[in-house]
Parts: sequence; C-alpha cells; structure tokens
Amino acid sequence: MDKESVRIEFTVNNKEVALDIPADATALHVLREMLSLTGTKEGCGIGECGACTIVVDGKAVNSCLMLGAQLDGRMVTTVEGLATESGLHPLQEKFMEGHAVQCGFCTPGLLMSSHALLEEKENPTRAEIEKAIAGNICRCTGYQQVITSIETAVSERLDGENR
Amino acid sequence: MSKIAYIKPDSVGDAIEILADKGSSAAIIAGGTDVMVDLRSGEITPEYLVDISRLEELKGIRMENDELVIGAGVTLSEIYNSDLLAEYAPALKKSAYNFASAQIRNIATIGGNVAHCSPCGDTIPPLVIHEAEVLLSGKDGQKRIPIEQVATGPYRSFLEPHELITAFVLKPRKAAFADFKKIGRRKDLAISRLSMAVMIDKSDDGTISFMRFSLGACTPTPHRMIPVEEFMVGKKPTEKLLFEGGRLLAESMIEITGRRPSIIYKEPAVQGLFVRMLHPVVN
Ligand SMILES: Cc1cc2nc3c(=O)[nH]c(=O)nc-3n(C[C@H](O)[C@H](O)[C@H](O)COP(=O)(O)OP(=O)(O)OC[C@H]3O[C@@H](n4cnc5c(N)ncnc54)[C@H](O)[C@@H]3O)c2cc1C
Ligand code: FES
Ligand code: FES
Repeated sequence: MDKESVRIEFTVNNKEVALDIPADATALHVLREMLSLTGTKEGCGIGECGACTIVVDGKAVNSCLMLGAQLDGRMVTTVEGLATESGLHPLQEKFMEGHAVQCGFCTPGLLMSSHALLEEKENPTRAEIEKAIAGNICRCTGYQQVITSIETAVSERLDGENR
Repeated sequence: MSKIAYIKPDSVGDAIEILADKGSSAAIIAGGTDVMVDLRSGEITPEYLVDISRLEELKGIRMENDELVIGAGVTLSEIYNSDLLAEYAPALKKSAYNFASAQIRNIATIGGNVAHCSPCGDTIPPLVIHEAEVLLSGKDGQKRIPIEQVATGPYRSFLEPHELITAFVLKPRKAAFADFKKIGRRKDLAISRLSMAVMIDKSDDGTISFMRFSLGACTPTPHRMIPVEEFMVGKKPTEKLLFEGGRLLAESMIEITGRRPSIIYKEPAVQGLFVRMLHPVVN
C-alpha cells in the first residue's frame, strides 16, 4: 500500500466493509465507483444540489463534500439501505403514491434528507420538512408533492403507533 | 492514484507537529465544505490533507470563567441547537439558521468558516459583536488574537501554516434585542452579499444604553461599526433615528470600500436592511 492510499473500515447499510481508497477520493466516489452503490447520484459535485445526500451517523450530509477517508469508523446509510426484505421504506411508498418522482435523479437525495429528519423528529412541522430538504434541488417535480408525501409518511407512522 | 496523502492526527499537538513539518504543502480539512470545493476546482493543490474533523479537543460549547468558549470544530448544526448560545449569543445562533443547507450545516465548522477568510462568512459578524478572540495553537505555543485580525484581506489569513484555531472566546451577553440578517441572491444556499449582526439593550427611559453592530460580506474584511454604535447610544430609537443610523452606516461602508459600481445597489440595501433589522426596538 503506498502512502497515497488509505485503509478505511465502516458500516454501510448494516454491512461492514473494509477497503483501500485513494486519499483524495470523495465519499461519493467510494460509494458509487468502488462499492457499486449507484443509487447515490452526483449532480453538481459542489454541495449545491443534494443529489449525493447520504446519512452518516444519523445525519444527512453531501457525500460529494466528504472525503472517503472520513467515512472510516462511521455508520452510513444510502438509498439502497432504505428498503428491507419485507418491502419498500414508507417514505419510498409515499413518494410513489404521491407522484413525488418524475425523472427520479433527485429522489435518492430527497429520500435520505427526509429519512434523517424522520429519524430525528417524531412529528416534524411542514416548515421543518421544508427546511430539511432546502438543500435538495428538483428540476422536474417541484416540491409540493414531495413535501405532501413526507407529511403522509409522518402521519401514517403516528397513526400506526397510536393504534 | 491520488497525488495527495491523507493524515489524521490524534491530537492538536500532533496536528501542529505535522503542519509545522509539512509547511504550506499541507492543508487542514475540517468539515471540508470549502476545502473539497477548492480541491475540485484546482484552487488549492496540497500534497497533504490533515484531517482535524474528529479531534475531541476542538469540540464543545461551554462557559469558562464568565467567558463563552466555542470549539473550532463545532458544527453549524450544533451552534443552531445550542441552548447556551440561544441565551448568551443569540445572533450567532441566528446566523446558523439560514446557513447553506441542512447537509452542509451538519459538517461545516465555525473554525473553517472563520479560517477560510471569505468576506461572506456568516458567523463572523456575530463573533465580532461579541468581541470574540481567536485561540491559536502553533509550534511557538498559544496565542489569542481579536477576530477582526484573522483575515488580512479576502481569502487571506493572518494564520501561519503551522497554526490551528482551537476555539473562540466570546463575551457572553443576554441582550434584550439581538439579530443577524443577510441578503443573498436567493433564499436557500445563498452566499451573503451583505450581512449584519446587532445587540441592543435599553435603559428604563427607553434610550439605547448598549449597542454592538457589525457589518459583513460587503467590506473586504469584517468590521465593527463603532461610529454607528456611538451615534445610536443614548438616544431613543425612533424610525427617524434608524434611517439616520442607516445612512451613517452606508457612509462608513463607502469610506472602507471606496465608491465601487455595486454601490448603487449596496448603499440603499445597507440602509434598508439596517432599518428593517432594528425596527423591533422602536419605542
Ligand atoms: C453550497 C454551499 C453553501 C454555503 N453556504 C454558506 C453560507 O450560507 N454561509 C457561509 O458563511 N458559508 C457558506 N458556505 C461556505 C462553507 O460551508 C463555510 O465556510 C464552512 O463554515 C467551512 O467550514 P468547514 O469545516 O467545512 O471548513 P473546511 O472546508 O474544512 O476548511 C475551510 C478552510 O479553513 C481551514 N481550517 C478549517 N478548520 C481550521 C482550524 N481549526 N484552524 C485553522 N484553519 C482551519 C482549512 O484549511 C480551509 O482553508 C457554503 C459552502 C457551500 C459549498
Ligand atoms: S452532487 Fe453533492 S450536492 Fe450536488
Ligand atoms: S424528479 Fe427530476 S429532478 Fe426531481
């Protein structure tokens, strides 16, 4: 191993991985090109569009602005980690039912931003939802269907808990 | 293969040694939200990236001997969620609210914001009104310098390559009124074109008894506007006074920047934002 490569070990979607990466590789590059997790998208590459959003230790971050080396020791969730064997994640279902997806390029990022919010807050307000996805740009659907779909996911989860 | 080597020091002391050894061929990376963009564009071409993002010594917000200490590694999200800052440095907390996006606030640090020396760093005007001092650690030991001395010009820093910001020390104040406002090109993810932070207390008779005011983004480096503070203190805040204060502020800005073409936009914008921000204190 030469000095320009870095050994990292982390958990991605509940699986432990260990690999050698170039020192200057972004987390986005490591996920997409080295681990073939291509659900995470690259839009702008400079933190402005949110297409590359992943969840690291419970927080939404732009994987294009993170060094791959900084993933070492972390718990990472990508869009591939949302669905389980029993089916899609409720957010994914509500996005489909609520017509929150057109071309779908922004969708993984929007799902990860809203997933982080729902893990942190039981019952976020509409304003909190808007704030959480303000760093995710969608060029086709617009934001109303997205916000409504997230609200539906929240209220169904609350209903489920109260039953 | 990469031309850059990655180094993760275990302590501040360790980081300083590495930085002193590598000199200007090393770049510090904290949240990376400026560094990663500059690497990608070729703006910076370091041989070594020294990752300080996990140094516990740089974390935490605490009160120490009546001073408010904020670690350089504190993120903008942590600033926004801090109860201590809500009480003792509310304008700083407000500056975190419209800072970039949730994703960026979760990793971007206050140390990186200040060290980048961008005139538009949103945390700087609030730090200025709290007369913040910057704690530096370097191979010659520790130093404490006023926040206004960190930037010697746009993107030009007073720091030596072997120096690290470890913390900011603020004068805490529960002011009756405190705010931060910025104007950007759009609502979200907007880089400030103009920003300001203020704290005001009033006496029982309604006159302004204490004021701290700082302007950001539209001057090459941040400035506490002492002539504006002096003009306002001791007077009753009326709408007329705010307009006069705003005019004085615009004039003081022009004194610093000279008459540039953008002044046609900035002069009324500075005055307008000042009046709007301070309006809640009108008797
Ligand atoms: C899309 C986007 C939107 C943005 N919006 C805003 C905004 O609204 N307001 C705003 O103010 N900024 C904004 N920024 C700029 C950036 O996010 C901030 O400047 C941020 O606070 C930098 O912190 P960081 O930890 O990411 O720094 P890094 O990128 O890690 O470092 C920045 C610089 O500081 C140096 N450095 C970092 N820590 C230290 C330290 N402890 N001691 C010495 N040097 C150090 C680094 O070497 C580098 O030169 C935005 C950036 C992007 C990409
Ligand atoms: S690709 Fe990361 S924010 Fe656009
Ligand atoms: S669905 Fe196409 S960008 Fe959002």
